[in-house]
Amino acid sequence: MTQPTRRAFMTGAAALIAAPSLLRAADPIRLGLTPVFLDNDAEVISHLQLALGQGSGRGIELSQRRTYQEVTGMLLEGSVDAAWLCGFPYLQHENVLSLIGVPLWRKAPLYQSYLIVGAEDAAQSLTDLRGGAHAFSDPDSNSGWLVTASELARMGERPETFFQRSLFAYGHRNVVRAVAGGLTRSGSVDGYVWEALAKVEPSLTAQTRVIARSEMLGFPPFVTRRDRAGDAAVQALQQALFGLSGTVEGQAALGLLQLDGVIAGEPALFDGIRARMRDVQGL
Amino acid sequence: MFSLRQMPLSARVPLIAAGLMVLVGVVASQQVLSALNRVQEARLRELARLHVDGLAVALGPSVLRRDVWEVYDTLDRATTAMAGQRMVLTVVADEAGRVIAASDPRRAPVDSTLAPLLPGAQAVEDIRLTADAPHVRVLADLTYQDRRVGQILSELDVADLIRERRRVWGLLLAGNALATLGLAIGGFLAMRRMLRPVATLAGHMAAMEGAPRAIPADQVPRGDTELARLFQTYNAMSGAAEAKAVAERRLAERERFVSLGRLSSSLAHEINNPLGGLLNATDTIRTYADRPDVVREAAGLLDRGLRHLRDVARATLDQNRLDRHGTPLTPEDFDDLRLLFAPEVSRLGQRLDWVVTATAQDMGRLAAAPVRQIALNLLLNASAAAGPGGQVGLEVTPGLSLRIRDSGPGLPEPARLRLLTDDPVQPGGGVGLRLVRDLVAEMGGRIDNAKDAGGAGITVTLPTGAAPC
Repeated sequence: MTQPTRRAFMTGAAALIAAPSLLRAADPIRLGLTPVFLDNDAEVISHLQLALGQGSGRGIELSQRRTYQEVTGMLLEGSVDAAWLCGFPYLQHENVLSLIGVPLWRKAPLYQSYLIVGAEDAAQSLTDLRGGAHAFSDPDSNSGWLVTASELARMGERPETFFQRSLFAYGHRNVVRAVAGGLTRSGSVDGYVWEALAKVEPSLTAQTRVIARSEMLGFPPFVTRRDRAGDAAVQALQQALFGLSGTVEGQAALGLLQLDGVIAGEPALFDGIRARMRDVQGL
Repeated sequence: MFSLRQMPLSARVPLIAAGLMVLVGVVASQQVLSALNRVQEARLRELARLHVDGLAVALGPSVLRRDVWEVYDTLDRATTAMAGQRMVLTVVADEAGRVIAASDPRRAPVDSTLAPLLPGAQAVEDIRLTADAPHVRVLADLTYQDRRVGQILSELDVADLIRERRRVWGLLLAGNALATLGLAIGGFLAMRRMLRPVATLAGHMAAMEGAPRAIPADQVPRGDTELARLFQTYNAMSGAAEAKAVAERRLAERERFVSLGRLSSSLAHEINNPLGGLLNATDTIRTYADRPDVVREAAGLLDRGLRHLRDVARATLDQNRLDRHGTPLTPEDFDDLRLLFAPEVSRLGQRLDWVVTATAQDMGRLAAAPVRQIALNLLLNASAAAGPGGQVGLEVTPGLSLRIRDSGPGLPEPARLRLLTDDPVQPGGGVGLRLVRDLVAEMGGRIDNAKDAGGAGITVTLPTGAAPC
């Protein structure tokens, strides 16, 4: 894989470009996002922006990108103050990144990865999917790539040879669409997104069936660059995140995201992902 | 089998007019449908072109990268956005025809070949709406940056166009049928009205029963139209024909007198000849009034002569009486005829063979007047044909059969036509023989003409079974 090389480059670039935080004290807080949400991104963004703005007393600038790689890059090179990333890229850059908070889903900062197939598909487990087409969400996604890839690694397989064809749909909802529409036989999807979709878009998830669930893993966290963890902007953002469940706007945003709140998380929360990362090292 | 030619003109022409109206209706409907088809196809071509061009712009970069998800995502969003619209299926393939993605991957899986979907696919410029197929397949090249990077095959829903065409077809059919029916009925009635005078004319001609009847003035079409002139011509012709018929009737009536007229000189001699003898007898009586034997002989002579004269006068009167139709035929009628005819025979120095074997019983069921007229006319004709010194004969046998023979050369052609056919009477000839023919026909009899070594002979056979006229 060539990604470690790119990541190393990005890390270096970010360090070079980093500028004194004081110069930007009055600037709006910039938060990077990936399209991890549902189909109503614009509405979620609007509410989140409003709630975080109220909570922090600062303007909030949300930057959404198509891939984790792009958002991670923006965070590392400093064009955003913080980002809502997946646990996998957080761990990839753990040495330069620091946790701000972890969302609570169903009262816990945990979620699962789901392996889904078409509703009519007879497959019962990953091994039944050999030779089919598979949809991953993102090469830097834990639930949308790492979990399935590590499962295959444990079986001594590689995604590109185990599956006849695999593709990245860049979005968990897209993975569900790909499987529901019959583009691929199976897909690796964020269990939180699949469950949330099942509530807001049941006709879509009804066309899919979950055949495997991973163990509970650390929920995608809000992270910042380690060297900027003490910045006022980051601190303000953290307070705003922790206070979301206490405000009307915050509850509205959390309601749209089907989350319960945000807590300060520990790196140990992501040990499960860390273990899976080790499993795919040899790939 | 029914044939149009057997129909009357007054029905045939309006029917033809109605048929033409129907034909015009059918042709007009065909033209409208054809135009509708062209418009729909042009609309569909434009839609297909827009569809393909729009997708080509959106898909170009993804196809160039063979990005399955991006191609699918674009197609899927396009399908969702155009839900319920024309696009049923769109398949994007690379230049080699390998499917990159389709809006419905189950119908065209990724990496499969496009070939199974190609049958029936049409180029955008050649799109045709065929029969009742609810879907049309369109195949187009996907060009990006002026380079052919793949192919797009789209299945478009044209059911609405087909429905529209059916609906228009139905409306057109109903509308045109109604309009055509109206026009056909109108044309039928108009033609019938225009041809009514022809029907009137034909009616008059059919009803005339041998005598043309003039059409009343109120039934003659107004104005100087061809039909009005035709009516006037017909009326003029019917007038002429009636005048001719009157003349013919008058001529036939006179014929009876003519036949006697031809005998008149002979009859005059017949009367005149005894007169000398009778006057001598009166002189003898006057001179020898004292000699009873001479007076008695002279008176006997006078009596015989006067009786003969009385018979001749009676026969002549009988021949000319017009009210004798009810009188039955008797052998005495043939005696009368001989009395009338004998002077003519003796004048021409001819020999007369007179044989009447039929009895009063044989003759009783026939009327006297027409039979006498028939026999007299034929005898006169035979006498004329035999010429001076010839031979004429009459034989009346039960049946009743009259055989008139003469030693002449037989009937000349004009006379034969008058006696034996209904051909028009040629100018210049008499009507006596035609009168014989008419009388025999009226009585239901038959005329036979034969010529043998003994001369010409005409046999008239009259049925005696019928009641007396």
